[in-house]
Amino acid sequence: MLSMHSYDDNGKMKDYHYTGPVQHRFSPYAFNGGTVLAVAGEDFAIVASDTRLSEGYSIHSRDSPKCYKLTDTTVIGCSGFHGDCLTLTKIIDARLKMYKHSNNKSMTSGAIAAMLSTILYGRRFFPYYVYNIIGGLDEEGRGAVYSFDPVGSYQRDTYKAGGSASAMLQPLLDNQIGFKNMENVQQAPLTQEKAVQLVKDVFISAAERDVYTGDALKICIITKEGIREEIVPLRKD
Amino acid sequence: MALANILHGESVRFQTPHGLSWDSRPNDIGFESEFGDGNSFAFKASLNSGYDDGLEKKIEFLHGTTTLAFKFQHGVIVAVDSRATAGSYIASQTVKKVIEINPYLLGTMAGGAADCSFWERLLAKQCRVYELRNKERISVAAASKLLANMVYQYKGMGLSMGTMVCGWDKTGPGLYYVDSEGNRVCGDQFAVGSGSMYAYGTLDSGLRKDLTVEEACELARRAIYQATYRDAYSGGQVNLYHVHSEGWTRVSQDDVLKLHQQYAEDKA
Amino acid sequence: MATLSVCQPQYGGFSFENCKRNALLETEITKLGCSIPAARKTGTTICGVVFKDGVVLGADTRATEGMVVADKNCSKIHYISPNIYCCGAGTAADTEMTTQLISSNLELHSLSTGRLPRVATANRMLKQMLFRYQGYIGAALVLGGVDCNGPHLYSIYPHGSTDKLPYVTMGSGSLAAMAVFEDRYVPNMEEEDAKQLVRDAIAVGIFNDLGSGSNIDLCVITKGKVDYLRPHDQANKKGVRTGDYKYKRGTTGVLTKAVTPLGLEVVEETVQTMDTS
Repeated sequence: MLSMHSYDDNGKMKDYHYTGPVQHRFSPYAFNGGTVLAVAGEDFAIVASDTRLSEGYSIHSRDSPKCYKLTDTTVIGCSGFHGDCLTLTKIIDARLKMYKHSNNKSMTSGAIAAMLSTILYGRRFFPYYVYNIIGGLDEEGRGAVYSFDPVGSYQRDTYKAGGSASAMLQPLLDNQIGFKNMENVQQAPLTQEKAVQLVKDVFISAAERDVYTGDALKICIITKEGIREEIVPLRKD
Repeated sequence: MALANILHGESVRFQTPHGLSWDSRPNDIGFESEFGDGNSFAFKASLNSGYDDGLEKKIEFLHGTTTLAFKFQHGVIVAVDSRATAGSYIASQTVKKVIEINPYLLGTMAGGAADCSFWERLLAKQCRVYELRNKERISVAAASKLLANMVYQYKGMGLSMGTMVCGWDKTGPGLYYVDSEGNRVCGDQFAVGSGSMYAYGTLDSGLRKDLTVEEACELARRAIYQATYRDAYSGGQVNLYHVHSEGWTRVSQDDVLKLHQQYAEDKA
Repeated sequence: MATLSVCQPQYGGFSFENCKRNALLETEITKLGCSIPAARKTGTTICGVVFKDGVVLGADTRATEGMVVADKNCSKIHYISPNIYCCGAGTAADTEMTTQLISSNLELHSLSTGRLPRVATANRMLKQMLFRYQGYIGAALVLGGVDCNGPHLYSIYPHGSTDKLPYVTMGSGSLAAMAVFEDRYVPNMEEEDAKQLVRDAIAVGIFNDLGSGSNIDLCVITKGKVDYLRPHDQANKKGVRTGDYKYKRGTTGVLTKAVTPLGLEVVEETVQTMDTS
């Protein structure tokens, strides 16, 4: 091996040849992988995420869920740069406490979504590198999912996948929940059992093909009775 | 600046000049390249403006959306598609690209999704404040100028929006095009976005001053449909609004697939 | 030039015809924010160990394209000669073609000498080829075999440098696998112990390196015998999906329908059995 180092820090094959001048610069972002998914039903919402935290070719943690409980009826899923995820959830938690102290009630998921949008846009020129999806119950008790882009554009959906394997999950959800690209099918409303089973299945599939998704799946099922959590093992390679 | 004033809670960093957040070229801190995934219906060129050499520099190349609006004898028709793209990935097919500023003002969304929705939300607030202060509704000209002035303060910093402000005021129907480069143009018809050329094609061939409301709606719907048919960055549904003397009304929402089948049947 | 080469069959060797053009294209295309297509590189864990009477080679079976798994069960242990095998990491096409070329040359060599090739010969042919191409052939190899001088194990780097060691690892999971070797390697191991050690080294690579995954392949070479175990072990059980994703007939929309009848002539034919008595 001598002085030769075949792989750089990320385990990627190094470029041996002079490719011209290289400009070094401060890079405030890293990508830590991970996938989040939220599904809304008639009287429930599900937020699910894998628990792998990785960077480059290495795994930092196998037990780092990306769902964070905000209130009794709201859970947020954050993926992207883990440092920003932590900061953002910390800020949201603080703002929720302040709201509760001054208004003597918890924020609704719609209000949290609107607040998150302004928090994200506040960093328009140095954004949080986080893909957020909020799942919860609205004022009428119906399931609600709000999906965000990193600078705060948001909308309400019935189901949404975000993060590294989002492009693998979303088409299947479009088909199975949104009944897209199908003819002559009856559009049965989504039951909680069917939704949970679908969430498990799409994550098992994603873990097969996306290297950043694996280890375990954490599912948060939000109903008016409370938030139930479930952990399902996934591939560990 | 406006953003800092509005977001005092959120943006401590905005008030203390921070080397990174104030850099006029966002690409220098290295997130633009790996992180171009903010939903956008974007102006590509404007994101790179300032350091892009030649070629694309002055071209206002919009991509990722089709929006159009035109004046006719019964007011203004606004029609948009509903697709959001992040690079080549379709992030959403159900975006509301018409922003309801207040019951008689509409804005459209092209460029950065967050930029458009944020600044037009802020415009809504400003318009309400104007109403309370002056005891009369704001004119379309004034509203569009408020928006143009707000985004002009951030010129060259990477904002990306191309919007049409449509409404009805004392002078009749109003239609202005405002973008993040600082343009503000009054006109009778506009189409904004990557599919705008296709929309103009249909629009120009069918636009007359004496159109009935139904005819005008059908023309706008057809124009957006044609754009979604040819432009990969446009699609989803066609959202249609009509602005008249009583304010705006939402006319229809049609899936482009359904429209495609319907137009194919009509042709056959 | 171009038309000429299209018409004539290629006689082997590399064509550098498009180099200049591609270099120009690359500079132009990067300005537009695109990149030229990259060759498939396999994040890999490969390793080998010398034991009492032979060598054991091991490899994972994952091939990746970017951060997406392209092949869940690809073969990374390549045949060189009846007594020599070679694990490959790096650019998938390069490892494949390089080992095939050397295998072919060694076959000719052993036909002309009438003897089994030696591992040292294969090593020298590989390193001289790789050195000639100055690292542009991105093949990182683990070469192992048994010849008249006993078992040998080499690691070969893309630039042509080689090491001859009792245990070697290569690929993105090489550090993880080497940790296992450093911990548990002892000289003159029994075959079963060596197999277990290599299995564990690859398994560690599979679990801790995102570029490596799926199954464990082994190749045990002893004097006069090769045991190619594929797969030797499954490091990970695939999850079981419980949903039913079958579609009823008629779910897919039909846009157009066209039937083209094939003008077939049906010929009656009977087979007469030949009298072979």
